[in-house]
Amino acid sequence: MRSDIAVDPAEPAGSAEPSERPGTAPSSGPPAEPEPGPAAVSRRRARARRAWGRGGLVLLLVVLSVPFVFPTWWMATSSLKPMSEILRAVPTIWPQDPSLAAYQDVFALQPFAQQYWNSLYIAAVVTAGTMLVSAMAGYAFARIRFPGANALFLLVLAGLLVPSEVTIVPLFRIVNTLGLIDTHWPLVVIPILGAPSVLATFIMRQFFLGLPGELEDAGRVDGLGRWGIFWHIAFPLSRSALAAVAIFTFLKSWNLYLEPVVYLSTKESFTLPQALTQYVDAYGGPMWNVQLAATTLTVLPVLAVFLVAQKQFVQGLAQTGIKG
Amino acid sequence: MHPQHTPRRTAGIAAVLGTALALTACASGGGSAVGEPETPSDPVDLRMTVWTADETQLAMFQEIADAYVAENPELVSGVTFETIPFEDYTTSLTTQLAGGNAPDLAWILESYAPEFVNSGALADLRPVLADTEGYALDDLLPASTALWEDGEGLYAYPFSNSPFAMFVNTDQISAAEQSDPAELVASDEWTYDAARDIAAATAADSGKEGLVVRDFDYQIWENLATVWGGWGATPWNEDGTQCTFTEPEMVDAMTWFHDAVFDDGAIPGPGTTADFFAGDAAMTITQISRASSLDDSFEWDVVPLPAGPAGQQNVIGQGGIGVFTAGENPDVAADFLAWFTNPENAAKLAAYFPPPRESLLTAETLAAANPKLDADQLQEVVVDGVQDSVTKPAHRNFAQLAQTVRAELDALWREDADVEAVLADTCAAAQPLLEE
Amino acid sequence: MSTVAARRSSVAARRDWAVGYTMVAPVVLGAVVFVVVPLVMVAWYSLHEWNVLAGTFTFVGGENYARMAADPGLRDALLASLWFSIGLVVLNISLALVLAVLLDQRLPGTTTFRTFFFSPVIVSLVAWTIVWSFLLQPEGGINGFLAQVGVAGPNWLRGEATAMIALIVVQVFKNVGLNMILFLAALQGVPEELHEAARLDGAGAWRRFRSITLPLISPTILLVSIITVVGSLEVFAQIDVLTGGGPGSSTTVLVYYLFQQAFRFNEFGYASAISVLLFVIVLALTLLQWQSRRRWVFHEV
Repeated sequence: MRSDIAVDPAEPAGSAEPSERPGTAPSSGPPAEPEPGPAAVSRRRARARRAWGRGGLVLLLVVLSVPFVFPTWWMATSSLKPMSEILRAVPTIWPQDPSLAAYQDVFALQPFAQQYWNSLYIAAVVTAGTMLVSAMAGYAFARIRFPGANALFLLVLAGLLVPSEVTIVPLFRIVNTLGLIDTHWPLVVIPILGAPSVLATFIMRQFFLGLPGELEDAGRVDGLGRWGIFWHIAFPLSRSALAAVAIFTFLKSWNLYLEPVVYLSTKESFTLPQALTQYVDAYGGPMWNVQLAATTLTVLPVLAVFLVAQKQFVQGLAQTGIKG
Repeated sequence: MHPQHTPRRTAGIAAVLGTALALTACASGGGSAVGEPETPSDPVDLRMTVWTADETQLAMFQEIADAYVAENPELVSGVTFETIPFEDYTTSLTTQLAGGNAPDLAWILESYAPEFVNSGALADLRPVLADTEGYALDDLLPASTALWEDGEGLYAYPFSNSPFAMFVNTDQISAAEQSDPAELVASDEWTYDAARDIAAATAADSGKEGLVVRDFDYQIWENLATVWGGWGATPWNEDGTQCTFTEPEMVDAMTWFHDAVFDDGAIPGPGTTADFFAGDAAMTITQISRASSLDDSFEWDVVPLPAGPAGQQNVIGQGGIGVFTAGENPDVAADFLAWFTNPENAAKLAAYFPPPRESLLTAETLAAANPKLDADQLQEVVVDGVQDSVTKPAHRNFAQLAQTVRAELDALWREDADVEAVLADTCAAAQPLLEE
Repeated sequence: MSTVAARRSSVAARRDWAVGYTMVAPVVLGAVVFVVVPLVMVAWYSLHEWNVLAGTFTFVGGENYARMAADPGLRDALLASLWFSIGLVVLNISLALVLAVLLDQRLPGTTTFRTFFFSPVIVSLVAWTIVWSFLLQPEGGINGFLAQVGVAGPNWLRGEATAMIALIVVQVFKNVGLNMILFLAALQGVPEELHEAARLDGAGAWRRFRSITLPLISPTILLVSIITVVGSLEVFAQIDVLTGGGPGSSTTVLVYYLFQQAFRFNEFGYASAISVLLFVIVLALTLLQWQSRRRWVFHEV
């Protein structure tokens, strides 16, 4: 991914001199004819100092990047190493003798493609469902005045405060009573309707709160009812907030660990985070290189999606109620 | 909105009450013996949780199970083996039990044996096994079944009895010009002190690590039982009511271990990972079944555990298969277990798990299963190792003890630790749990 | 005439209500079935002694709560949670702010750096933690680096204080990217004219940050700190992989203690009582933060 594909307001648009915005530094104004005099000298000096300062900041960013990037780099490169090299205490930056054998094992040892599909479709359904459900609820809580709206909103917000460890046993009993153990139902329905979707509802509500009322009035004049206003006006306008919700939700579902471990029991129905822990030898010892290869395969697509979608993501968040 | 609320609330309360009723219903079961299975109206599906993920092992189980289904189509329509990762095994099993979704059969880790056996969660298998034709219940070694008995009842079949042994990297040891452990065994000089000296010298020479007690990692302290057995030490007394960490044998054993780590450099310290099978260490204490992890990248040998001041003590790690009374068809499950572990099938299982049957515990039977070991090694380490062996520490309150003792022993793994004081603290913390 | 209009408008309002109820029905129903009912069940369990293995479920009233009051292990866990949460929230929010401000400077390569800082968020938590467990070994990458600059690093995960610090830092690196993005979005919503005006008034960069930026992004800080505090109380897998709650019980935080009681020791009744406590703590903290918002949040969300 080239960094310039994402048209980012924070990115210098290819100009030789970074175009500064007024807030951060004195604007140099139009490139007027050189104007000799002490002012120009001091300005030039200030600019030089600023260039050094900016260089320092970039250096700082580079240093700060190391603890963020190195573990992922180590993970990806270690999947090309034999076990003995992985376990070496001082990590090697590049495999001495790279091999793709671990990647073959990933697919040979488990129905990895099936598990990949499980994770993918569950995450997709949960994301789509959450977008719809949270947009509807967020819209109603924000724009429709109906009795008990506040009480109901507080009731829903309670979900934000319940760690999943707290309710996992009763939820398991409920799911078991319904005979849905080892199916994907609990992994789809509970996140869409239960605690995990609360943050999404909250974000959507904040977005719709900021929607100008005139747009709705215009819709009403055009003869649209509530549903029509929601479907044809509010929902399409909330694209950026929905993007943020989508990314949050997808990541959460994609990385869900405790719930699949509890609800699923056959390999064919496993999701990825759970499958990763299954690459062990006959004695339960982890096969590090295969685990790391499988992990790399699960991380890369999400990373790629983020790279492509990060502009929408950042803008989405900027336009939701979470902004300043 | 009020009228809308009421039915929902009622539904909620009903759900809670229903759960409570279900709970009291299942609380009344437990501890009962299973008998001859009555033919169920429809053939049932059985489920057994296991911790192996090994495809060939699972395929073998399935083959044995399919043969049972073929013979008893009126009883059983199928058997599934459900792999739960070793690390979360007991946790996941308990979650299933808590959720009212008990498996029919389950592998059980030895450390938790007393807890499961005493809880009444498992069915007494003795009547079924005794009544099964050709089962030869007498063939089971008393040393193997001891852990799984309560009074007259036998609550699990100890399908795996894997002795601990010392694997040595003879390449590294001879490079350091140290004596060959096999020769020391022959001349009766194979002691923990000798092992420590060889390990320290070899580590100094190779720049790698010396002796690794595998899977101990300064956390899973029960694996040290392989070491302190040589001192005749135990964590608690026979009936599990008195802490014995403060006894002189344990103090001596732990002092030896501490010094081997911090003074002699014979054992890698806390936080260091060293994998013997990757060639990172001179020797390791682990279960014999790990021999399959060895490749030909270095010369190796396997010898019995060294002797300590109190002589040589063999230690085995066990796994049992039990039948849950809370399962849907305990009678059928027990009948299947009798099939799964009958002499013929036990011989098949012996390919991966040293069996509890005396008749099968011979170097010849085991040789087929362990091509990497020669007859002498098998006789010396496995056959002799299972007889008159002890199991790793186990207790009916094991989970809490394991956690408490781990937290206390953390103070021991420092260079300046006061061994006696730490062990006194350990007993002070553990004693209330033993008395529970 | 006016009554007809009123009736018509009230009919419209009723219809509007119906639409409102229909739209919130899924999440409200979900909250009842998947949040409230389970919570009530947990509260009910907490009044019982429930041993899963033995299959016993006996009503014991407030016994589990009395036991909590007398349990030194629980006290240690609360203390560990307190340290962990304070350390995590302070470090996470300040680092997220620093990173967001740095990325807001229109430096070259900003998009790349932003991606770098965000990338751990999408790496599986368990994988991330395992990698760090290698790096934190006594002769691992961190100490190898420290040795280069002449510092003898400690055995991170075996010392009580260093283990806690290591846990916090590993967790911050994992998740700070998300907060950073939220802050970045907020910063980019600060009108530039305000900065410009303040600059013309002679305000320095720090002054402008304190007097303009911070108040304007304070609603975001509120939301981020609520999410982070709640999240810090739920940390589990990291502790399981890195320290197992040790050394001693120094990193056994509340959720880990809860997990041990429920799934390791099979004390589901007692664990349920701890769950109730955890819920109350999270609720109290959130209400506290929400109540305090008037004092420091510039304008309401």
